[in-house]
Amino acid sequence: MKSFEYGDGELGKKEIMFAVPSMVIGIGILSLPRLLANATNFYDGAIALLIGGALAILFTWIAANLSSRFPKKSFFSFTPLLVPKPIVFILNVWLTIHFIFFVAYEIRAIGEIAEQYLFGRTPVEILSVTFLLVVVYSVSGSRVGILRLNLLFLPIICFIAVSIALMNITYFEFQNLLPVFTTDWSGYVEGVKLSFFSFAGFEIVLFYVALMNRPKQAAKFAAAGMGLAVGLYLIIFTTCIGVFTNDTTSTMVYPTIELAKEVEVPGGFFERFESLFFTIWIMAIFNTTAMSLDIAIFSMGSLFRNMKKVTRILIISPLSYLICMFPQNINEITSFGTLISYSGGLVTIFIPSILLAIAKLRGIGKCE
Amino acid sequence: MDKNIQNIKNIFDSPSDLTIRKFTLGKTNINCVLIYVDGLTDKNLIHNHILKSLQIEVIESGKDFSQQPDQLLEELYQKAITISEVKQADTLDEMSLAILSGDTVLLVDGINQGLILGSKGWVNRAVQEPITEGVIRGPREGFIENLRTNTVLIRRRIRDANLRFKSYKIGRRSKKDLVVAYIEGIANPALVKEVERRIDTIDLDDAPESGYIEQWIEDSFLSPFPQMTHTERPDKVATALVQGKVAIVLDGTPFVLIAPVTFGNTLQSPEDYYERWMVGSLIRVLRYFGAFISVFLPSLYVALVSYHPGMIPSKLAFSIASTREGVPVPAFIEAFLMEFTMEMLREAGVRLPKPIGQTIGIVGGLVIGEAAVSAGVVSPIMVIIVAITAVASFALPSYSFAISLRMLRFGFMLTAAVFGFYGIILGYIMINIHIVNLKSFGVPYSTPFAPSFFKDWKDLVLRSPIATLSQRPQYMQTDDKVRMDKDGESS
Repeated sequence: MKSFEYGDGELGKKEIMFAVPSMVIGIGILSLPRLLANATNFYDGAIALLIGGALAILFTWIAANLSSRFPKKSFFSFTPLLVPKPIVFILNVWLTIHFIFFVAYEIRAIGEIAEQYLFGRTPVEILSVTFLLVVVYSVSGSRVGILRLNLLFLPIICFIAVSIALMNITYFEFQNLLPVFTTDWSGYVEGVKLSFFSFAGFEIVLFYVALMNRPKQAAKFAAAGMGLAVGLYLIIFTTCIGVFTNDTTSTMVYPTIELAKEVEVPGGFFERFESLFFTIWIMAIFNTTAMSLDIAIFSMGSLFRNMKKVTRILIISPLSYLICMFPQNINEITSFGTLISYSGGLVTIFIPSILLAIAKLRGIGKCE
Repeated sequence: MDKNIQNIKNIFDSPSDLTIRKFTLGKTNINCVLIYVDGLTDKNLIHNHILKSLQIEVIESGKDFSQQPDQLLEELYQKAITISEVKQADTLDEMSLAILSGDTVLLVDGINQGLILGSKGWVNRAVQEPITEGVIRGPREGFIENLRTNTVLIRRRIRDANLRFKSYKIGRRSKKDLVVAYIEGIANPALVKEVERRIDTIDLDDAPESGYIEQWIEDSFLSPFPQMTHTERPDKVATALVQGKVAIVLDGTPFVLIAPVTFGNTLQSPEDYYERWMVGSLIRVLRYFGAFISVFLPSLYVALVSYHPGMIPSKLAFSIASTREGVPVPAFIEAFLMEFTMEMLREAGVRLPKPIGQTIGIVGGLVIGEAAVSAGVVSPIMVIIVAITAVASFALPSYSFAISLRMLRFGFMLTAAVFGFYGIILGYIMINIHIVNLKSFGVPYSTPFAPSFFKDWKDLVLRSPIATLSQRPQYMQTDDKVRMDKDGESS
């Protein structure tokens, strides 16, 4: 039967509020405590995290504010109003490639971690390709559907994250956090940079605000969503340092998963909590990947206007799978990830701010 | 008139149950004829109110009907016939359909029109307790195969002038009556229009059961989930109508369709509202667990045993390992065999006559369970798991939804066998993707979880006290949103 739209509005404020943390929470948080612990002493990483988080919230607000000035228009339909065509074209290509690489990074990382924590023998290639297929299935549905999945999954993800923090409370030692303010300035700068880049991903608001029914609320709720992500990161980082101390955290590959390993379920109902934690965390990574792939496809659609969505999916998915198999070992994957987060950082800092400034100066778009 | 009789005879090829009764009207010499199908009509009614009036009472009243022939029918209609459902018919088609539906046609010599006299009356099953949806507390009435009785059962519950019954004829050959019921002023007009549009597209030669209608008008035939509920309970239909939903009643079946339906609806039972709210809520939570177990338990077992034995506490792991020692097949095959047998037993139980059905239970429970374990084909733990799964899937109120979950269970067992936990979670994600994209008459199946309507969560997993459910479901986008005063006093 032909579908008909009834009872199915566009995106509400909740969807945007959930989309931002869903995008941000993913692979990054698994290793971020290590990176932060390397850069700073004791618990000073939290300060870096707070500053980075505040910046992330600010830029989320800017990006959402920019797109809410152009209701029902996505990023590629309003940029031509602000900047010359060639720049739009470059942005478009850049974003398409950025998101393709992002997808590649996520599916490779999930394969690696799944192999490490869930399997021993199944090859990474198989694990990655099955994950990619599920993501492809989700992007072949409606775009609104992807954002609704966030609503279904994010509460579960937050629940499991908070519960590993709570279940570790018996191992938590306050003296591990002290003394404070011992890090030098370069350490803080490094920490802020690391945490800010780990929050990258909120550029999705540039694309999804267009689907909202009342875009005016976008900026407020997107920023609130970012606040949620920052809060969650802070909880995880605090627990890591409190339980493991700074030194140990800095030597673990994925401190967050190690944290789950420490958990003992009361009553001994089951052991190896980290397998369960990672299993649920796959949902978080799925959300991130699905939205990235969706935007990559959407973005490519504005480059090739006549190309069907199916064709774009069939081009982009194998491409990102090929790219994801390039790095040979875990170090290469990490540097691959760093590269992507730098690119993401540039996208999120400069483009929205500059465009918003132009829009304000030239008075284009609806003012709030 | 004789020509008309001949025509009608030709149409029906004069079957043995077609009765043609010729007579003359009162004292006059005007020839008349009554045509009806024996068995579809109420004989008493024809004798006492049609034949008697036309032959005897016409004489007694002393009225003169021997006037202008073209006014005769009108005169008869106005003065002689003592039944309420009468209408004029001009064409043979109209008359033959009326005859087939159980009405009686009256033809008068020299007039090229006829009267259709409503005389439907045939043997019906009495209104009984619904068999498939038993409740402990609640009305005992269930729908039957007669459309009129069914609409009466609904109307008796909602005495609202705005309750609408729209009639359709379904089936090229069967020409069955179908009624779309909704309450104007509550149901969203767009929804009603859409249901009507879809029903208009139906082009079947016969619709023996409302399942035909359901499959014709559902949104996606590829989905494992039912996109409409069917029920035998008039109280359930009444509740749905008041919530702004639309019911589809088909003649010849006790199952009434309700649309649209969301994931949450499939785990609700009318009894939730009849019991006190704590009981209702807890039972609902229990059902959510039941649904979870019925889908995931065997696959979790398979994943744990074959991929993640480290996750089971060591004592339990040892006991599982020791019981599985003699089992010659991998856990997946073991689980699949047992689940398959279970499904077969269930199917056999449905088909068998009731007295024999019980034996199947004994055979299944004792022989297969016990014997399979002692023969070393399956482990006792597996038997426990299959039993719990079966019980859990019986705890679900909607039979068709329980079937969907049973299908999914096999899929999940397969993914668990290939990828362990990783497979299960990917499968779970895929089901979620499917559900957010699935729609039932335009309403996303995942409502009110996502898109989220927090106000509707009061009546989702939990069922909060009646007085707090002051609004109709938001996702239905009803015209009239409030159903009672905030204070709990009915408005």
